[in-house]
Amino acid sequence: MPKKAVWLFIIFTALFILGINYGDPNYLLNLGSTICLACIGVG
Amino acid sequence: MTRLRWLIQTLVAFGTNAYLLFPFGGSVIYQGPLKAVCHPGLNCYSCPGALLSCPVGAFQNFMGSLRFSPGGSPMTGAIVLGYVGFIGAAVGRLTCGWMCPFGFIQDLLYKIPTRKFSLWKPLRWGKYAVLAVLVVAMPIFFVDTSGLGHPWFCKLLCPAGTLEGAIPLLLLKPGLWGAITFYFWNKIIILILILIGTILISRFFCRTLCPLGAFYSLFSRISLVQLEFVEGNCVECGACIRKCPTGVIPNQEIDSRECIMCLRCVDACQFRALDFSMRRPPVKPTPGKRATSPL
Repeated sequence: MPKKAVWLFIIFTALFILGINYGDPNYLLNLGSTICLACIGVG
Repeated sequence: MTRLRWLIQTLVAFGTNAYLLFPFGGSVIYQGPLKAVCHPGLNCYSCPGALLSCPVGAFQNFMGSLRFSPGGSPMTGAIVLGYVGFIGAAVGRLTCGWMCPFGFIQDLLYKIPTRKFSLWKPLRWGKYAVLAVLVVAMPIFFVDTSGLGHPWFCKLLCPAGTLEGAIPLLLLKPGLWGAITFYFWNKIIILILILIGTILISRFFCRTLCPLGAFYSLFSRISLVQLEFVEGNCVECGACIRKCPTGVIPNQEIDSRECIMCLRCVDACQFRALDFSMRRPPVKPTPGKRATSPL
């Protein structure tokens, strides 16, 4: 496995774990559970 | 391989848009726990059937919330960036070729029998501009009075949002018609142009405007999987070039950022000059005699 790919895996996995632990996963849940007004051209 | 790809594309497209309760008195969009997970491809989370969130929409909303008081947490954006970055590092644009529902729609539209055209190559840079301007910069810099940025890609351009979200939702909830603005008609015109482009030019949107494809393409030369070219087997018959949906010349640009790893070239090559494999570490040149001039 190339070193660059390994480092990228480590960096992005760390980002994801940091996000899950210190961010707000409910933010994504709430976002996805509401109708995206921008997507449908309202407002 | 082509049949397997069609099967996976179909399963992913329908499997991730499998919420079917909207016509039967359930919520008009799915609101369950799966929406905390992003789709690997471009799939509008306002599609009535969508089970997963859209990574581009989620990332824009996160960028737009950074200047909002009391402020968005950078760590929330890290979830999305970590997720799509992990996928990019693992398989790069293979996601576009095998798992993107909007890519699947484009593949189907391109089957409509009409005269076909090739893409003017400079247009390929458009997707990087869309990623940098509409997805990253504008949500941060163009904010309203409360400091909240808008998802400008969704608002101005996203054809998946119009096709999978806006049109079905307006049909299901006619009350929304009263609230539509200039942006809706703008997106309808853009959708029509993109659909026409897609019928005439293979994977038109992926190649010119898709910010997710642009992001994944950054990993094309380092992702875990790759197309492998066996130079000795190539007879330069051009079969791979004729089959490539993104205009790549596989025997000359093996790790092209345009390659979506659909593997049609692998199927087309009768001489086993192309193969799909795990990327190996580059071989270090062994110290040897320097080439010297005979003069």
